[in-house]
Amino acid sequence: MAQHKVNYTQDGGLPIALTSVDKIVNWGRSNSLWALTYGLACCGIEMMASGASRYDFDRFGTIFRASPRQADVMIVAGTLTKKHSEFIKRLYDQMTEPRWVISMGSCANTGGMFNTYATVQGVDRIIPVDLYLPGCAPRPETLQYGVMLLQQKIRANKAGNAQKAKRLM
Amino acid sequence: MRAYKPKNDVQAKPYYTDRFYVAPQVPKFDVETDEVFASDLEAIKAKFEVKDAYIQVEQMVVYINAHDIYGVLELMRDELQYTQLSEMSAIDWLAKENSFEIFYQMLSMTKRKRIRVKYFIENGQAVDSVEKLFRSADWSEREMFDMFGIEANGHPFMKRILMPYDWQGFPLLKTYPLEGDEFAAWYEVDKIYGKEARDVIGPELRDPARVDRYDSERFARLGFEVPKGTEITDDMQRTVQEYQEKDGVFLIKKLDKESSVVIDDPQR
Amino acid sequence: MAQVKNRLTPFFENITFDREDNELVLNFGPQHPSAHGQLRLMLHLQQEQIVKAHPDVGYLHRGMEKMAENMIYNEFMPTTDRMDYIASSSNNYGFALAVEKLIGLEVPRRAKVIRMLLLEINRLMSHLFWLATTALDIGAMTVFLFAFREREYLMDIIEGYCGARLTHAAIRIGGVPLDIQDSFLHQLRVFLNKLPQNIKDYEDLLDSNRIWLMRMEEVGTISTEMALSWGCTGPMLRASGVAWDIRKEEPYELYDEVEFNVPFSDKGDNFARYRVYMEEMRESAKILYQCMEMYEKCEKDGETELMAHAPKYISAPKLDIMTQNYSLMQHFVLVTQGMRPPVGEVYVATESPKGELGYYINSQGGPYPYRLKLRAPSFWHTGILTDLLPGHYIPDVVSIIGTTNIVFGEVDR
Repeated sequence: MAQHKVNYTQDGGLPIALTSVDKIVNWGRSNSLWALTYGLACCGIEMMASGASRYDFDRFGTIFRASPRQADVMIVAGTLTKKHSEFIKRLYDQMTEPRWVISMGSCANTGGMFNTYATVQGVDRIIPVDLYLPGCAPRPETLQYGVMLLQQKIRANKAGNAQKAKRLM
Repeated sequence: MRAYKPKNDVQAKPYYTDRFYVAPQVPKFDVETDEVFASDLEAIKAKFEVKDAYIQVEQMVVYINAHDIYGVLELMRDELQYTQLSEMSAIDWLAKENSFEIFYQMLSMTKRKRIRVKYFIENGQAVDSVEKLFRSADWSEREMFDMFGIEANGHPFMKRILMPYDWQGFPLLKTYPLEGDEFAAWYEVDKIYGKEARDVIGPELRDPARVDRYDSERFARLGFEVPKGTEITDDMQRTVQEYQEKDGVFLIKKLDKESSVVIDDPQR
Repeated sequence: MAQVKNRLTPFFENITFDREDNELVLNFGPQHPSAHGQLRLMLHLQQEQIVKAHPDVGYLHRGMEKMAENMIYNEFMPTTDRMDYIASSSNNYGFALAVEKLIGLEVPRRAKVIRMLLLEINRLMSHLFWLATTALDIGAMTVFLFAFREREYLMDIIEGYCGARLTHAAIRIGGVPLDIQDSFLHQLRVFLNKLPQNIKDYEDLLDSNRIWLMRMEEVGTISTEMALSWGCTGPMLRASGVAWDIRKEEPYELYDEVEFNVPFSDKGDNFARYRVYMEEMRESAKILYQCMEMYEKCEKDGETELMAHAPKYISAPKLDIMTQNYSLMQHFVLVTQGMRPPVGEVYVATESPKGELGYYINSQGGPYPYRLKLRAPSFWHTGILTDLLPGHYIPDVVSIIGTTNIVFGEVDR
C-alpha cells in the first residue's frame, strides 16, 4: 500500500455534482464504463468469470476493451511485479481522461501474500487507485459490487472540469 | 551487545532447535537392488568417473565430475534412452562449503525410470551448457543464471529470464534477503519516477501483521467502511451496503436487497 | 500525454533506420487482449511471416521458490495454489505427495478417493477453461460463454466442499482435512449426466467449422523430437505421438484401480491438441464415475480416516484439537515450529492438466525446505515458441499460444 497522502480536493473545491448537466454527463459515464482487460494473475480469471455467462458484466454497460485509448476504467486484477510496473504506468498514461482504477484482490491492493523481492507492494505505489477490493481472489459478486460503488462515486463527482491529476508529483 | 546474525545465510531460521536432535535420513538403497539402474550405472561407469550413486525414493542419484556433464548426458540420451531432461537447477551451499550443487533430472519413457545427475562446482565456476543435447536446457540454464549467477559456457543467450534485464543481485542465493535488498526495494520507483520520488512515495510497507484501526488512509474495517481520510472514532455506525443511490438512478432498475431471492438449485 | 512527470520514454523499437531488409519488430506486449497472462513476444516479421520469435517471461515472477525457503511446509500450501491457478488442487496435490514421499507417509484410502475426485474435477475445470479461452482468441465467443457456464457448476461444487472457487488449498500433507458434503455426489452426477451432451455441443460448433479447421490444422506442428527435446509433457507431448501419461506409467493415488484410456495423436498440430483435450474431458468423466463408486464403497466398508496418523508430522483432527489437551499441544508445536521431515531429497512428478508438474524438495531436517524447485510444464511450453513460431503468420501466433495452454502463474512462479 502507499504511504503517501493524495489530496483529491487540491485545485478544485468540493467535488460535488450539482448542475443537471453534471448529472446527465455523469449518468452517461457511469453506465457505460468500458474496462481495460488487465488480468495479470488469478484475479484475472475471476474477472473473466464475472464477465462470462453467470455473472454477466454486459448488463452494467461494461465491455472489456483491449486498447487503453478506448477504456475508462482499468481493473488491475492480479500481482504487479517490478518487471511489469513500467508497463502499467505506460498503459495508465495512455488511457484517456476521465479514467478510474479499481485495484482488485490482495496482490494489487498491498502485494498480498507475496512479501518478496519481485512484487510491488500495492499498485498504488505506481498509479492512483479509486477503489480497493479485498479478497484472494474476490468473488465475482465483489467485483460487481465494486463497479456499482464506482458508479456511485462517478455520479457524485463534478463532471465539468477535467479530472485533476491525482498525484502530488 | 546485539545478537549475532550470520551474514552468509539471511533466510528465516527456526527459532528453536533442540540441541540433541539428530535428524533422521530418508533411506538410501544400494544401486544393486534394481537391475535397470544397475545396468545404467555400469554403462556410465565404463566411460566416466562416478563419485557416488544410490537409490532414494525410487530414483537413482549419480554424482559425477563437473567437466563430464556433457558426455554423461549425451551417453544417457543416445544409449540409455533417457530422452527427456525434466529439470535442472542449482542448490546454494555457499555458507557451508563455498560451492553449488547442480542437479539434472532425467526421464526415460521407455524404461519408466528417473535418474538425477548431480555435481558440485566452486563459487565463480561456470558449467558446460547441455543446450545442444536438450533444448529445454536453454531456458533452464538461463533461469539458473538469473537466480544464482552461475553461467553456462556455450549457451546462445545468457541473459536474465525471470528478473528484469537490469536487475542487480541473484535472488535465490542464501545471502539475498526474501524481501529484497535496497536495489530491489526502490526498483520500480527509480525506474518510473526517478530517485527524487523516493521521499514522496515512501518505502514499501512490508509488515504484514500491522493493522491500525484508527488509520483510514490504509485500512478499512469490514462493515464500517468510510472514505479515505475520515476520522475514526470509537462509536462508528455500520455502513449499509448501498448498491445505488437512495433515489435510484434514471432508467436503471433499482436493486432492492429485500426483493432478492436465494436460488437453491445451482443447475439453473 | 503523460500529465505526471516520469522517466518513461516512448518505445520506438520498430523504427530502425539502418536496416536494408523489410523486417519489422513487433512487440506482443505483456498486456494482451487474449486471456493467457503476461507474455511478451518479440516477433521479427518479414512482411507477414515470422522469421524470429523471442518470448520474454518473468512478468509474474513472485519469488515462490524463495518464499518456500522461509516458510514451513504447511504454510507453503496456499502458495502452490497460485501457480497453476486454473486447477489449484493439482498443484496442492503435487506438493503434498512430494512431502509425503519424503516423510514416507501412507495416506488413508478415503482421503485418496476424495483427492482423486478433486483432481479430476480440476482437470475438467482446466480443460473447459482452455477451451473457452482458445475459442475466444480465435473468435468463437459462444463456446467461451458455454464453457464458462459448465465451469461455474464445477466451481459451485468445489465451493461447497472447501469454500473457495479458485484457489482451493483443499489438499493437505497427509490427506484431506474435510469430508465431502452431502450434495457433492448428487451435484456431480447431475453435472456428469449433462457433460457428454455439452461436449458434443462444443464439437458440433467447432469440429467441422471451416474457419476452425483452417486455423487449427497444419498450424503449429511439433515433431516428436522437438517435443521430447524441449521437455514437453502432457497433452502437448501426447498430441505429438508419445503416449506418456504419468497416471498410467507411474501411477500414484488409486489411478491403477480405475480404467481409462490415454488419447494421443501423431499429427502434432493445433487440431491434434484440440482433439486430445476434448477426449481427455471424456476420460475424466469416466474416472469420476468410478471414483464416486469407490467413495460409496469406502462408506460401506467403514473407512473414515481422512488424514494419515503420524503424530510427528501431522496434526490431529480438528475435533481432537478442540477437546483433547495433548492434541492441542501437538498442533501448537507443529504450527509454530513446523514439521521437520528427514534429511534427503525427492522429486515427484504428477500429471497436472497442463503436463508434468514436478516438485523437487531438498530437506536438511529443518522446518523450512532447504531448496524447493517447482517444475512447471508451461515454462518449457513457452520456450518452445522460440522454435515453433518462425514460418507462421501473425494470426497463427494467437492460435498456437492458445493451444499450448500456458498459464503464467506456472511459468514465472
